[in-house]
Amino acid sequence: MTTETERTHRFNELAEAYSTDLYRYAMWICGNDALAKDLVQETFLRAWRALDSLNDVAAAKSWLITILRREYARTFERKVPRFTDMDKVVIVEVDELEPDERTERDLLRKGILKLEPKYRDPLLLQVVFGHSCAEISEQLEITNSAVMTQLFRAREKLRAQLQKDGVTGNVHELF
Amino acid sequence: MSMNFSEFKKLIGADPGNRDAEILLARQSAPEFESAAAEAEAFEEKLQVALNIQPPADLLDQIKSISQQPVRQRNWIPLALAASLLILFGAAGLVWKQSQQWDSVESYIADHYSHDGSTAVAMAKENISDQDITKILSSLDATADSELSGRIRFIKFCPTPDGRGAHMVVSTDQGPMTIIYMPKTRVTDGEIVDFDQMHALLVNLEHGSAAIIGERSQSVESLVSTVRGSLKTGFVGA
Repeated sequence: MTTETERTHRFNELAEAYSTDLYRYAMWICGNDALAKDLVQETFLRAWRALDSLNDVAAAKSWLITILRREYARTFERKVPRFTDMDKVVIVEVDELEPDERTERDLLRKGILKLEPKYRDPLLLQVVFGHSCAEISEQLEITNSAVMTQLFRAREKLRAQLQKDGVTGNVHELF
Repeated sequence: MSMNFSEFKKLIGADPGNRDAEILLARQSAPEFESAAAEAEAFEEKLQVALNIQPPADLLDQIKSISQQPVRQRNWIPLALAASLLILFGAAGLVWKQSQQWDSVESYIADHYSHDGSTAVAMAKENISDQDITKILSSLDATADSELSGRIRFIKFCPTPDGRGAHMVVSTDQGPMTIIYMPKTRVTDGEIVDFDQMHALLVNLEHGSAAIIGERSQSVESLVSTVRGSLKTGFVGA
C-alpha cells in the first residue's frame, strides 16, 4: 500500500523530471509565459489528484503531456487570443553564440511560433521530449507516415524561413 | 536495394537522430548523403538551442507545494444532479454556452476560475514576499496597502478579457478567497456571478475592476471595502 509520503515522493520525482520540458512545451504551444506556467501547474495538480491511476512509470511522460494538451485545448485554444511575449522570457543563453548565430536562433524562434500546430506539435514532441515517431504517432493519434511527413515539412518550413531572411537580410521585419 | 537520395533526405529530415542500420549504410554510400546528414545534424543543434527556454525559477517549488496542500474534495452528488438536469433539458443550452467563449466578463470569470482557481488556492502559502506582490501589481500600475498585501497568500499574472491582470488568493476569517484584478476591464458594479459552487462579486475600481470570488458559503461582500480601499489603481508609481 502506498503511503502518503511515498505518494508525495513519487509526485516530486515527476515534477523534477518533467516540469522543465512541460513548461517549454507549453510555452511554445501557447506563446505566453503566464499561460504556460498556469498550464503546467494545472497539469501537475491534475496529476497529483490522479496519481494513483498511473501504474506504469515509463508512461508518465506521455501521461503528463496528454493532461497538458487536454488542459490547453479545454481552456485556452478557443478562448484566449494568441499573443506572444517570448522576448520577455528568460532564455537559456549560450555564451559562445556569435551575433549571427543569435540572429539565426531568434529567427528560428519566430519561425517556430509561426508554424501551424500540425507541424509544430510533432516537432516539439520530438525535440523537447525526445519522442520517437511511433510515440508521437500514439500521442497525436495520427499515422506514423503522417508524423514523418509533418516533421519533415516542419523542418523544411523553418529552413525556408531562415534562408528567406538570410537572403533578404530583413531580420527586423520579424520583430 | 539501396535507398535513393530523395528518400534519404526525407527520412533524416523527419528524424535527424535516426540511427537505423539502413540510414547509416546509406549515409556512408556517397558524399552527398554524408553532407546532407551532417547538415541535418547541424540544423538540429540550432533547433535545440532555439527551443531551449528556461522555466521560472519558482516553478518547481510551486508544483511541489501542490502535494503539501489538502486537495479540495468536490461534492459529486449535486454535480451529478446538475448533470442529470442538464441532460433532461437538452443539449441546446450547453451548445449555446460553449459557443459564447469569453463573450462577457461573467463567462471569463467562470472559465478562469474553473481553469486554475482551485490550483491557486491550493498553492496559497503563509509567506509570500512583498517584493513579488509589488512587482506584479506595479507592472499593472497598481499597488496594495498593508491591509490587503498582508493578506495575500498567492499572486500571479493572469489573462483577462482586456490583457494582463493579477490573480490573488487572500486569507480571510472565512478561509481563502480569490481576487482577480482586471486593469482594463469595466464591469457592472455589484453584480454577482454564480458558477459551479462558487460566486463572484464584480466591483469597479478607479481604474479597471476586480472580481472577488469565494465559495457560496463565504461572504464575498466582506472583502469589498478592503479591495476598494487598499487596491490603488492607475499610475500609482508616478
